[in-house]
Amino acid sequence: MSLPEQTFVTASAEETIALGRQLSALLPEQGAVLLIGNLGAGKTTLVKGIAEARGAASLEEVSSPTFPLIHEYGDPPRVFHVDLYRLETEREVLTLGLDELLDRRALTLIEWGERFPALWPKATPRIQIDYADGDQRRITLSAG
Amino acid sequence: MRILGIESSCDETAAAVVEDGTRILSSSVASQLDVHQKYGGVVPELASREHVRAIVPIVREALTQANTRLEDLDAIAVTHGPGLVGSLLVGLTYAKALCFARNIPLIGVHHLEGHIRAALIGVEIEYPAMALVASGGHTHLFECLAEGEYRLEGRTRDDAAGEAYDKVAKLLGLGYPGGPVIDALAAKGNPRAVRFTSPKLKGNLSDFSFSGLKTAVLRWTEARRLRGSFDPATDPETIDMLASFQFTVIEELLNRAGNAAERIGAKALVISGGVASNRGLREAVKARNWQIPVYFPEPKWSTDNGVMIAVAGCSLYRQGRFSTLDLKAQANLSLAR
Repeated sequence: MSLPEQTFVTASAEETIALGRQLSALLPEQGAVLLIGNLGAGKTTLVKGIAEARGAASLEEVSSPTFPLIHEYGDPPRVFHVDLYRLETEREVLTLGLDELLDRRALTLIEWGERFPALWPKATPRIQIDYADGDQRRITLSAG
Repeated sequence: MRILGIESSCDETAAAVVEDGTRILSSSVASQLDVHQKYGGVVPELASREHVRAIVPIVREALTQANTRLEDLDAIAVTHGPGLVGSLLVGLTYAKALCFARNIPLIGVHHLEGHIRAALIGVEIEYPAMALVASGGHTHLFECLAEGEYRLEGRTRDDAAGEAYDKVAKLLGLGYPGGPVIDALAAKGNPRAVRFTSPKLKGNLSDFSFSGLKTAVLRWTEARRLRGSFDPATDPETIDMLASFQFTVIEELLNRAGNAAERIGAKALVISGGVASNRGLREAVKARNWQIPVYFPEPKWSTDNGVMIAVAGCSLYRQGRFSTLDLKAQANLSLAR
């Protein structure tokens, strides 16, 4: 997938959600996208916008999957929301069966996936969220 | 009426036998905490592998302790969602096999209904009631319209309350799970030392948010580290911050639960889930002097266990709500019917 690098700045959670809706159209229909950002950067907030735009879930239905590790949105699932925060080794990630999710006709958004770089193809799209001034976030979409 | 309850939705494999919904004949839990402490959380495949290893001995132990044979059972109740599908399947498949082989009725139980019923063992409450369920994976408010009838009142928009504790504990290197260690440290600190602002949410007034608080603790910790290394378990500033963090979580939970209860004219409040065993939370409830009765589970039934599933199963049995053997494990399962 060829994806020109694009950078956006949002000033609130609402703007981050709106950007998620906009990014949804730029993301592939199926396969993995890495979401990169520190605790509280707004990864789950961005997923709200993307999942809503895909008709998979309402904004309220999207919450942190840290404890269960995988949230499914839509029936059949159109968005999988994965959080690898608690995992330590590649072996543990491999036992999650993510390959199976990536073969489904659904988008798989992966938080903390950058900690296991060997597991993703080189061109896996990534969305990086950085803290900017005050409540602002700088959000960069790139192709690996 | 004697019911076997089986729970395997997340990190515990558990079974229990309960008679008439009130008499607990046995409870058996294979705590996987040792495995999880090593990994700082719940690891699903490890969890389901542990469930497979534990399910047969745990059920056998629950039956033996209760001096009960399979043919003495009136039904088997089992959690069928929500949770990790791989983990749920272990308990559900085993329950179905027993039911099929011995011709015993099967009762599918919603994990959160189990938590709610765990606070109401041997108690008849007046309806409508409000129920707050807060744990590592859930923070939900339900209006209980009648026994077994629920309406979703609100839920977390981001992190669960228990997850906020776990993440703050991990941030400071305090270990897993985060609830008990922060609760103990918070008791020694000043809850007004650090002013964490309450989230301003648009929309549903009964929804929760803990992500902003987590970010504020992260920023506080980064600033504290700039001033030199410190031991979070003894540093007075950190202990004050943790007391303030806990105070903010409890205020968020109790303000929203209390307001929702008032709005619907609740005649009782139920507070359940792992966070319900938090000492600070229980003290804060007492201090509020609410005019309606507040029910907590016994601390041993506040985390995942088989008793809560058996007790909820008894309630469903009385209502004649049985399941068929094609009952599915569901990662997402709504309690509102």
